[in-house]
Amino acid sequence: MGNLELIVEKHTERIHHGLDVLPTLKHGVPEGLGNKRWTGELILATYEQALTGDVPENGLEYKTGNSGGGFDVLGWKTHDDVAKVDEESIDLSIGLNKRPDGKKIEIPLPIYGGGMSFGSISLNFMIARARAAKRLRTYTSTGEGGYPDQIVPYRDHVITQVATGMFGVREETIQYAPIVEFKYAQGAKPGLGGHLLADKVTSEVAKMRESSMFTSLYSPFPFHSVYSVEDHKKHVDWIKTVNPRALVSVKVSTPTDVDMVAIGSYYAGANIIHIDGGYGGTGAAPEIAKKNIAMPIEYAIPKVHDYLVSEGVRDKITLMASGGIRTADDVAKAIALGADGCVVGTAEAVAVGCTHCGNCERGRGCQVGITTTDPELSQFIDPDWGERRIVNLFNAWSKRLRMILASFGLETIRDLRGRKDLLVRFK
Amino acid sequence: MQRGFTRQRDQEGEYHRIRIESKPAPHVYPIPNKFDVSARKLRLAAMLVHEAFEYKFNKEVVLSRPCIYGVFGGRFGGFKPVKHKCVGCMRCVQEYPHMMTVKHSNRYRRLGDSFWTPENVFTVWDEASTGKIPVKGMGYKGPFSGEGFDEMWTDMSEIVRPTRDGVYGREYISTSVDIGRKPKSIDFTEVDDQPKTLEIPVPIIFDELPNGTDNADVRAAIGQAAEKIGTLDIARDVRFGEPGLDNLLPIIDEEGIADYGEKQPEIAEFDAERPDLLKKLLARFDRSILIGRLLLKEDSGSVACELARQGVHGLHFCADYHGHDYSKDGRHVSTALKDVHQQLVREGLRDQVTIIASGGIILAEHVPKAIICGADLVAIDTTVLVALQAEFQGETRDRSNCRLMPRKINPDWGAQRLVNLIGVWRDQLIEILSAMGMRDVRRLRGDIGRSMMDSELREQSFKGIPWAT
Repeated sequence: MGNLELIVEKHTERIHHGLDVLPTLKHGVPEGLGNKRWTGELILATYEQALTGDVPENGLEYKTGNSGGGFDVLGWKTHDDVAKVDEESIDLSIGLNKRPDGKKIEIPLPIYGGGMSFGSISLNFMIARARAAKRLRTYTSTGEGGYPDQIVPYRDHVITQVATGMFGVREETIQYAPIVEFKYAQGAKPGLGGHLLADKVTSEVAKMRESSMFTSLYSPFPFHSVYSVEDHKKHVDWIKTVNPRALVSVKVSTPTDVDMVAIGSYYAGANIIHIDGGYGGTGAAPEIAKKNIAMPIEYAIPKVHDYLVSEGVRDKITLMASGGIRTADDVAKAIALGADGCVVGTAEAVAVGCTHCGNCERGRGCQVGITTTDPELSQFIDPDWGERRIVNLFNAWSKRLRMILASFGLETIRDLRGRKDLLVRFK
Repeated sequence: MQRGFTRQRDQEGEYHRIRIESKPAPHVYPIPNKFDVSARKLRLAAMLVHEAFEYKFNKEVVLSRPCIYGVFGGRFGGFKPVKHKCVGCMRCVQEYPHMMTVKHSNRYRRLGDSFWTPENVFTVWDEASTGKIPVKGMGYKGPFSGEGFDEMWTDMSEIVRPTRDGVYGREYISTSVDIGRKPKSIDFTEVDDQPKTLEIPVPIIFDELPNGTDNADVRAAIGQAAEKIGTLDIARDVRFGEPGLDNLLPIIDEEGIADYGEKQPEIAEFDAERPDLLKKLLARFDRSILIGRLLLKEDSGSVACELARQGVHGLHFCADYHGHDYSKDGRHVSTALKDVHQQLVREGLRDQVTIIASGGIILAEHVPKAIICGADLVAIDTTVLVALQAEFQGETRDRSNCRLMPRKINPDWGAQRLVNLIGVWRDQLIEILSAMGMRDVRRLRGDIGRSMMDSELREQSFKGIPWAT
């Protein structure tokens, strides 16, 4: 073994060991870890769940962050007189196609993985996510950076994303997909398109995206072929022509008229409307966009849900929410506010060691091998190890979801949808 | 009338796109390390011994460091970390939780005052030194919402309304604004004797500096920057006709009128709380754009209407440096501005006056948000001093008691820092406008429908959710 291999092995072992030790609180919660949305405790609790597959029992706060709003000021009502339900028998599955036509797809937990592109994340992490999706019988999304050959074996669990840059969008990648996702906008940079910084455009990334090495890549905003719902319908028809068995998901951000966008997507033929709130993750985005443009997902979900109900189509389209879903409690609260399920990205990254430090865009990228294309750093994420941790995290989340449902005597997660009456607000 | 070399069409009518030239202008005074990284030295020594045996004294492997930013790349490695390189990624803590500590440094935590958070100070420093839009990975890390501008989100367009691809310059988005009174209607039978409006390429001007902070180098830096950008620079006690003051927006008092002789300034501010001064100025400077300067208070809406009727061309409302008005309740400038704007609209006077807002405009996002609340443009004050690396010596809230003291600077360096700052704020304004599908910042004025308020959304979306008891 050469020195480089030894060095990678040494640091991989140390990082993995650290992720196991830190949640024990033997050394306390590291002072510099976390922020208001992802507190230090929440990050450690996610490490713990990714290690054990269980809800933390050592006092770590695993339910909410400390942002002072949104999910963090919502809690659960306490009930004394509820019918007893066996947690194990609780059904967490949701259907992704509520239309009468097309393939019926059900996922056994109300979660799938959000788009993270090859280039913004390492190939190893991408493979880990795809394997985890397969094991959990759910999905992950390619993001905009193309479809690496290495994830083709998992294609029955991979959503192909079609975004404005059309990077890696080919007939075959659309035909692989059980679900094709149009990304009209991303919550972290709504209305601004995508940006992959030059440092991350290695030869592999450039090849995949059919571009030049170490040149910044921009995805324009918007789709210049879509300026109306009618144009959008043409997009949906295009996908359904290329791959008639695919469901179509429409990923949009959360403007003031997000409800109108949702109903428009429904009438254009979408199976899934995926709303992505302003506090979601990204490989790189202007700070001004993350904080200031478009509304948080907590406010967008009821707005869309209520409007779809009032239009009489709520049970004909699946509403998925993302952009700041950090915990199982966030998932349950999102569903109680009106979503069918959630799309998760950052939590998967935290499961494999992300500290939410926000340095993804710098030079070599992520120090623990998640949002990087650096060949050395990428090796810190072994796909098997990553798969195991992501699966464990969602197993822990499933247990927590069952606990919440059992506390209200609900037998399926579908019964929780729109049950705002089960929530309480904190000042 | 257009101003500065950045005008869209030159005298021959040739088209020029507005561009603000940014260049690196690194900090000249050392800035605090954001993070304080330290190792427990005995444990570090023990670890090195342990790893020496584990890796059979393979020096390259034993001494390979758990940092990709070079914090331990100095001669003494972890024994003397290169603290300024730490970006808080926490990998060293992940690898060696028993001996590494990373936290925000005390100097960083003490930076600023109760309004200027350390993060805000760093943002302005970064913008002024690089002229680049702050871009970071991962999601937003701050509080869910806050007071004033932090309670507001701006809208964006999607599918059903066209957006603009202005971020990368593929569609032109105008950030120019006009200062002055606009005609109510077009009347070809009468000669318009009102002064023409003045167009500046950005809705940002430099306000007069806080009391006691004015010095020649800072003034020169602001003057140069205003000229390069083509914007305005408000100042008192400056003699008319002095060189290098082409972009000056002087504050004229009664005694200063005589200094102008037969000449008239293109634009001037005056103390609108002085009785009869407007009348005298209108009589004396009939070709000048006259802007009344006054503190933002409860009755500012009715005062604005009254002054508009008296013929003022613009109003500059000053909040305190923490962005609160001078009313009994100390309302945030965003709330107070909405009141003024809406009262002027109701009275049919809004286009008769230009509204300039100042006080508490310290971040790029405050510009579009102030404009949404009803301002035509903003003036920046303490932000100028922060960009020039002034020293915080306490709270700077009141306009009469500034504790943000400028340091000795080279005016050329200072000018470039301010050019960078305004350039990058303009770029960010374009991002906000492009997300909204707007091609002109003038259209944003008072368009509160393109904003979303936390309190309103919360009541709509959380309706029916009871309070916890």
